[in-house]
Amino acid sequence: MINISGTYQLAGCSKSYPASAILYDTGQVVIRQREFNQMLVEAWPDDYTYGTAIPGLAVDLEFTDGALFIPDDAQFRWPGLTNNNRLPEWLESHWVTVLSSVIIVPLFLWSMVNYVLPGASHAAVAFLPNSVAESMGEQTLYILDKLHFDPSELPESKQQEVEDQWQSILSKLELPKDKYQLYFRKFDMGANAMALPDGSIIVTDDIVTLMEQDPNALIAVLLHEIGHIEHQHSLKMVAQTTATTMLFAMMFGDINGAGELILGAGTGLLQTAFSRDMEREADEFSHKNLPKFDISPAAFADAMTLLVNSHSAAFASTDDEDGTDEESSGEKNNSEIANSLNHWLQYLSTHPDTQERIDTARSAEAGKDAP
Amino acid sequence: MENGLSTERTDFINFTGKSGEYFKLWFVNMFLSIITLGIYSAWAKVRDTQYLYGHTQVDGQSFRYLASPMQILKGRIVAVIVFVLYMVLSQINPIIGLVMALGLLVAMPWLIIQGIKFSMRMTAYRNVRFSFEGTYGGVIVHFVLLPILGLITFYLAMPWVIQQIQQYINNNITYGGKHFEQNSSASQYYIAVLISLGIVLVGGVVISMISGASLAAVAEPSAALIVPILGFILLFSIAAAVYQSFIYNHLLATLSIDNVVSFNAEMKPVPFAVLMLTNILLLIVTLGLALPVVKIRTARYIASVTEVTIKPGIDALINTIEGSDSAFGEEAAGLFDTDLSLV
Repeated sequence: MINISGTYQLAGCSKSYPASAILYDTGQVVIRQREFNQMLVEAWPDDYTYGTAIPGLAVDLEFTDGALFIPDDAQFRWPGLTNNNRLPEWLESHWVTVLSSVIIVPLFLWSMVNYVLPGASHAAVAFLPNSVAESMGEQTLYILDKLHFDPSELPESKQQEVEDQWQSILSKLELPKDKYQLYFRKFDMGANAMALPDGSIIVTDDIVTLMEQDPNALIAVLLHEIGHIEHQHSLKMVAQTTATTMLFAMMFGDINGAGELILGAGTGLLQTAFSRDMEREADEFSHKNLPKFDISPAAFADAMTLLVNSHSAAFASTDDEDGTDEESSGEKNNSEIANSLNHWLQYLSTHPDTQERIDTARSAEAGKDAP
Repeated sequence: MENGLSTERTDFINFTGKSGEYFKLWFVNMFLSIITLGIYSAWAKVRDTQYLYGHTQVDGQSFRYLASPMQILKGRIVAVIVFVLYMVLSQINPIIGLVMALGLLVAMPWLIIQGIKFSMRMTAYRNVRFSFEGTYGGVIVHFVLLPILGLITFYLAMPWVIQQIQQYINNNITYGGKHFEQNSSASQYYIAVLISLGIVLVGGVVISMISGASLAAVAEPSAALIVPILGFILLFSIAAAVYQSFIYNHLLATLSIDNVVSFNAEMKPVPFAVLMLTNILLLIVTLGLALPVVKIRTARYIASVTEVTIKPGIDALINTIEGSDSAFGEEAAGLFDTDLSLV
């Protein structure tokens, strides 16, 4: 026989009494109001069930009519509780399970996000019908045309010249000419080229003008964009982002505030990491295929240098005003800090460090002769 | 004699949850969810909520979470199927995507209502359950039309809109069949916004002056950038904490059920800002592992500044909510990210 003090909570209304529960070996329970020792309820095992055992909380006795008996002692556990009832609580407080959880949960998340989900979504992309890529490409081009692009202002002859170059690339690489299309557009943000999942490649007027003197550089850029399409990078990115978002929504559904902030930042960093990998893959495609046109992979390095110079030209004027000569003497520490900061800022970028890309292209040139 | 009240009793909410205990519970439940391919997540959600509710005590009595794991599991399965269908179909065909987006738009108010309703009806205090009585039309007005009004007035009406939304939600929450009454005033929202904007403006000028000076002294601009970046993170956290504590105090001071309960909150901006910043710091240095600790710290702080006055009428309440509901609305609302955190 066990005698426990607690609160008896009536069914269906807010009234409660301080009470004691007397539990007999037969499973019979008698609830008595504490003050006058008056019997409130007499119940048999069929008339009540045990509530869930949660660490640090008392286990309720739940009567079939909805009334409750809540023990005062949060540590008290009814002897009638089955092992099944107590298992979750035991797992939640045992150091072996806690330790393995703290190791396995982050490990699981890390491997899912880095390997399983990318692998699965890349495999799944192969099964997507062509219409997906086509409609994605059409819609993106439509939106870009509405928001950012103007019709090209390049002379007809120049466009024809690049188009001829483009056709010869396609023939050489034996790529389907109805899939791969080249578009000329005027774009205020400067020299750039981009690939859409359906095989459309857009070159801005600025990049064509920039590489007028160095046609090999333009070929290197076009090959890089073809690399994006051949590797189905856009589709992979969409599939992977969807899968990661799903995983996070399911695992951390109820998070808000600071947690959501950190989770969002983490997902963002992850995406830029994958984006950098994809850029490297496209670079590699360009390095590998340039020799087919009797062009050295160094042309890609030249293209990158041209692009960097054209983009930094805009900032150059403000830099000059500061008088960069001052840097030499006492500022060394600061520029070291700046270097290490730049190193960390790389993780925020969707593209790999430009110098790294140039160096890789040059070493691809050097390695070309070896085998 | 029953332990009824003849007079009112006032005390702070007592949150008894412990970081270590909850950390263990949270991680083991996450682990069990993973090795059961997500099936245990329904049990995990119930245990998690039961822990947080059970450790929240008002006037010596705990809140209880009544949802059963099977109920959550069913809702979760249906919601995931709908979500996956939506994601896949809307990617594959733009027309189906458009139709489904429209369908989601129409269903959204219903999902919002079902989500709040389910979590309220599964919450009990002293064996009496909460509920939510918002209507489709009311949700359309408050969650669609008013925000549009806020946008077309260039955010001038936004503080009023937010006040209206929070008032609408709280006014439609019932406890034992009695409506909560929220008598907030829009002017308090405008004051809170103006104070926060003032802090951002003044702080912004100070930070620009300091970092401007240090920027001139350093040749590499990117190194000096770290000062203003940290400065602005600090500044925005303080401004957000000022706004949130101001509004929280105002909302609770004007929330009541006649002769049953009233509230008072004394959240102070600086301790709250410190809590938020240390939470972010904790999450960063532990790579997110401290998440359960952060949840307990936040709950404990909010409880410690929130006073509840229990009035005699609370002893005469009758439970008006019976049975269990479908958890689909809440689960779908969670997946589509339309669930709202209350108060």
